[in-house]
Amino acid sequence: MNLLGNIRKVMFHPLDFFYDIQFEERAKWRHAIILLVMTVIVHMVIISWTGYSFEGRLPYQISVLFETFWILVPWITWCVSNWAVSAILEGEGRFKDIVVSAAYAMAPYIVLSIPLAIVSRVLTLDEKVSYYIFLYAILVWVALLFLIKVKTLHDFELGKMIWITFLTLIGMLIIWFVGFLVFGLINQVFDFIYGIVKEVQFRL
Amino acid sequence: MKHSLRWLLVMTLVATLLLPSTSVFGESPYAGYIWNTRSDAPSLNGYVYKDSIDGFNLSSGPFKTPEDIFINDNDFIYIVDSGNNRIVLLDNRHQLVKVFGDEEGPGKLNKPKGVFVKSDGTLYVADTQNRRIAIFDHDGSFIREITAPTSPLLGSKFIFSPSKIVVDKRDYLIVANDGTTDGLLQIDSNGNFKGYFGANQVEFSWTRLFIRLFATDEQKAQLMSVRPQEFSNLYQDKEGFVWTTTLGTNYNQVKRLSAVGVDTYNPDWTKKVNRKRFGDVFSFGSFDISSFVDLTVDDKSVVSTIDLSTGKVFQYDKVRSLLFVFGGIGEQDGLFKTPVAIDQTSDGSLYIVDKTRGRVDRFRTTPFGDLVHKASALFVDGRYQEAKEPWRQVIELNSNYDLAYGAIAKSLEKEERWGEAMDYHKRSRSQYNYSKALKEYRKEWLREHFLFVFIGVIVGFLFIRIGIPLLRKALKRRLFKTVSPDATGAKGGIIE
Repeated sequence: MNLLGNIRKVMFHPLDFFYDIQFEERAKWRHAIILLVMTVIVHMVIISWTGYSFEGRLPYQISVLFETFWILVPWITWCVSNWAVSAILEGEGRFKDIVVSAAYAMAPYIVLSIPLAIVSRVLTLDEKVSYYIFLYAILVWVALLFLIKVKTLHDFELGKMIWITFLTLIGMLIIWFVGFLVFGLINQVFDFIYGIVKEVQFRL
Repeated sequence: MKHSLRWLLVMTLVATLLLPSTSVFGESPYAGYIWNTRSDAPSLNGYVYKDSIDGFNLSSGPFKTPEDIFINDNDFIYIVDSGNNRIVLLDNRHQLVKVFGDEEGPGKLNKPKGVFVKSDGTLYVADTQNRRIAIFDHDGSFIREITAPTSPLLGSKFIFSPSKIVVDKRDYLIVANDGTTDGLLQIDSNGNFKGYFGANQVEFSWTRLFIRLFATDEQKAQLMSVRPQEFSNLYQDKEGFVWTTTLGTNYNQVKRLSAVGVDTYNPDWTKKVNRKRFGDVFSFGSFDISSFVDLTVDDKSVVSTIDLSTGKVFQYDKVRSLLFVFGGIGEQDGLFKTPVAIDQTSDGSLYIVDKTRGRVDRFRTTPFGDLVHKASALFVDGRYQEAKEPWRQVIELNSNYDLAYGAIAKSLEKEERWGEAMDYHKRSRSQYNYSKALKEYRKEWLREHFLFVFIGVIVGFLFIRIGIPLLRKALKRRLFKTVSPDATGAKGGIIE
């Protein structure tokens, strides 16, 4: 019940919510996990429920793994990067607070996109303007929550918040780059070991 | 029971042993496929290789680098045997009738590249290396020639090097000239230049405008001048329209020119949505730009055109939908080395000239091809209802054929069965048409269920205005009774 209450609060009183969450151990890992799982599920549901006028992919063309990856990976790198950047630049937020509030920031998407998907089934391309306005409104809302989160958790000025957000995005890119690098190297190592095993097998 | 089971097993074994050997027989060296809205999909072949004419069994001897083919209304075949400097006429059973082109004298041809035959049998040869158009009468005697026309429009550097030719109803010669990018030449029967016809246009480009604005005169002089794309070939259909193929572009390569030279096959090309990519369409990876070198059009406006870079023949219907792809580069029968020209006989067989191999390959339609042609002909005529049954058979044979789903959806729309039409539009992967059908479906649904909707709206309105506040009040009253007020009232705090 308090998860539902919190979702309502984060949508309508985000400033208060992100301020209060820092105290008395109110941030809970449990909530973050539930919200993330819900985000992924909601994403899957809206892909399959959105009317064909707006979602041209058929179910067989959608990979659950792929879609999940592209939600979770940016989200996790955001949390890590934001925590790292703000820790260096005098931010006050703790890692746990950052993660949990970033999960709560997905609330408008979880709550509103399913109704939109259902409505889109009876909309035609003539009404695509209103559909996309609603869709982008949801995304802008989520983005705003992320910004407010950065500002309140770390107790930043507006200018500093923008600066930190920018640095966080750069940090995300760096993490991805390193990730690709590590992935490539590990691949090479496996290839190498596999090669040696093959060679040994061949000689024996 | 046990006995019959064993017998069944033996029979299936025999069947599996026998079947492959029979199915291998009809296999063609290319896999059939079709380009659907989003990707290519396996499809049944519409054309398969039948036989070849290479000239070895003709008294005139084998062909040498043939360049063009013309088939007249009686299915007589004129082959431009360019390497031997002659035109070979075969009858409809591929037996030699006559050879055009003299050994000596003014009727001697030099590397001709194109031919056109009027209905009375008069033969017009684009005698390319002689820089003229040679005219023969129907029994093969040279009549006269048309040499390079002169006109201030052509400019001083103009070189007359006719490669392809048609003669229209006014007796004007329409000539594709090698190296001319300003359009097709129109020459009257006396050899006077009558202006360009149907020039390709140059696309507007911001970079070019930018360079124009800032480059100095010397720099401008060094820039390569922008030229419209060159026509590679032309064909005159039964109605007298001139169809062309264009090189050096990746969209709208096939055009049908009206009497004033305007493209009537493709809608307004300046709009990006109207641009159709003919040939293979790859959105990523390495690929060659397609180069269409010849085309032929039947009386239903079905266009078959050769792409030299892939060695494939692409066939489109009147509204630019791809019907079939066949051929390819290779050694086997059914593949080509250098396909340069195409024409068709009245039974729908396609004849394709392979320049390097020096032969003409004949392709016949498959039953599937005939079925699609039948359905497509009805469909493009707007007879959707009649076309529905053949399209259903097409889908039965090949469920990857998305064109058929779209066509059936159209016929369902005619019957105002919008719900089913939506389903078929979805299968044909057309979001635009789906949405249009949905609009009609919605309209009809609302009309039929008007009372229900009307009452629903009123009830909903009342519920929101009266029901919810009442509920809220009731809920609050109960909460105040059971829970202490300070636990719920903490606005801004976190509810634990």
